Amino acid sequence: MISLAQRKRHNWPDGARCVVGLTLDFDGTSLERGRGQLPLGARSHGRYSAKCGIPRFVDMFARQSVPWTLYVSGYDAEEHPDLVRDISRSGVEIGSHGYLHEGIDPGDAEPELLERTHKVLTDITGIAPRGWRSPSGHKTARTLRKLRELGYIYDSSDKDFDLPYLARYDGAEREDYVCLPNNTSSLDDFPFYRVSYTPPSEVLTHWKQEFDAIYSEGGYFNLTVHPRIGYGSGSPARVAVVERLIEYIKPHEDVRLVGMLELAQWCLERPSDWRRDWSGQ
Amino acid sequence: MTTQIVPVAVTVNLHGKTVEARHLTEDALFGRASYGKYAYAVGCERLFGLFDRLGIKTTVFVPGAEADANPAYVAALAARGHEVAAHGWAMEEMDAEDIDERALLERTHAVLTRIVGREPRGFRAPHGRLTQHTLRHLADLGYLYDASFQDDDHPYRLDADGGRGMIEVPHAEILVDRTLYAQRQTHDRVMKTWWEEIEAMHREHCLISMTLHPRSDYGSGRASRIAALDNLFSLLRNLAGITFLTCEQIAEPKG
Repeated sequence: MISLAQRKRHNWPDGARCVVGLTLDFDGTSLERGRGQLPLGARSHGRYSAKCGIPRFVDMFARQSVPWTLYVSGYDAEEHPDLVRDISRSGVEIGSHGYLHEGIDPGDAEPELLERTHKVLTDITGIAPRGWRSPSGHKTARTLRKLRELGYIYDSSDKDFDLPYLARYDGAEREDYVCLPNNTSSLDDFPFYRVSYTPPSEVLTHWKQEFDAIYSEGGYFNLTVHPRIGYGSGSPARVAVVERLIEYIKPHEDVRLVGMLELAQWCLERPSDWRRDWSGQ
Repeated sequence: MTTQIVPVAVTVNLHGKTVEARHLTEDALFGRASYGKYAYAVGCERLFGLFDRLGIKTTVFVPGAEADANPAYVAALAARGHEVAAHGWAMEEMDAEDIDERALLERTHAVLTRIVGREPRGFRAPHGRLTQHTLRHLADLGYLYDASFQDDDHPYRLDADGGRGMIEVPHAEILVDRTLYAQRQTHDRVMKTWWEEIEAMHREHCLISMTLHPRSDYGSGRASRIAALDNLFSLLRNLAGITFLTCEQIAEPKG
């Protein structure tokens, strides 16, 4: 049998050739609060998310009528319950994203934080989240144990594969939990707008090339952007980049835009298609 | 008149999860600490698949611990005609105080020899860090060349630096993918930078040594980056005299 990484065609929803997941991490003032900083002055970037960035993205996604997924930290949801509830009621999946956007592994405090955020989001939206994205990318086997206990079926945090795959931890592969990887080096706004300070037009070209390469091999394209100002994509020029990218992607034959929970459920209904070769790893 | 040869060494530093495992346990190799796992899951085959398609034999610098964890893969690379060379044991800094440098070099040497069925002839220091004894140890172990220095346009003799009988096959920081991808430059910026450097090196008949990694953060393993490399190699091959050689071929005494 050909390993998942080598397979030329994958079993995507609607017989699509390539799937595209557009994801937003809210990243409000929880970041600064989590570091014990006041979100004032030069540290006020997180306030932009709820005021400007999110509304601009909501309008743009509606204009393009495409599915998208929003990951929100517990604290940001408590600060903006109406905004999060409205987005949820519009049919967009709300996934969880830490409580105070914990930048480092919270250690033994993590299970309680995951539970608290889970409850906050459930209370606000009336829907228990089933997807998680790691804030800042930390994730351990302990995270996975707790997420599964809370009823999560996927997270979108790993960087070690290009396709969805059944999670493996504590020595076993799980048929009820799928990893939907993202990549915060190349398909994320932070690296280009904060690390290399690349002009938006060049970022658009870069992401189009990412899409071309993934489309040509019938893969899975996951874009991670933030509605913040600063390292994020909330500003007019940068939301326009994401909109131009969507306009570029859409006309390709057999492209399917998906919500992340929808994709996770699809994969878990046919787990044998998403079993990865772990040899040598 | 014959065209002068311009040697190109394509080298790969086989950085997998050994990079993260220096500081973290297996239970923590998820999320942002999972980039190293990309190498054997996806990145290596993308990269070596490209080289095989283009008929380019590369020099692969392999940490002993990576070879130990993936012996079949490393042996297969050698069988495909790539040169397997040594790259420390597990991404240690050779000049760190608490390590037995000689023992680590010997351990890696033994593991690679066992897996490949032939002694490695070249070495590149992890992180490019050496002590004043490293080259002497390598000479004692019978190494032909080192490829850690970045101080010349051409190979040179290492006798004066303690590597008796050895050759240095130098590389260039700017032609290391990590230099630019770790700074999160776009593919176009990386290729533009590389092409400008390579064209000028070619004009002056310098050794062109490129260094790639199979990872998806600071390496070239992603599909999009492979496509960019593919494009660069088509341009490169059109330059007069371009000859792809392994580091061992470059260091071999000329008959």
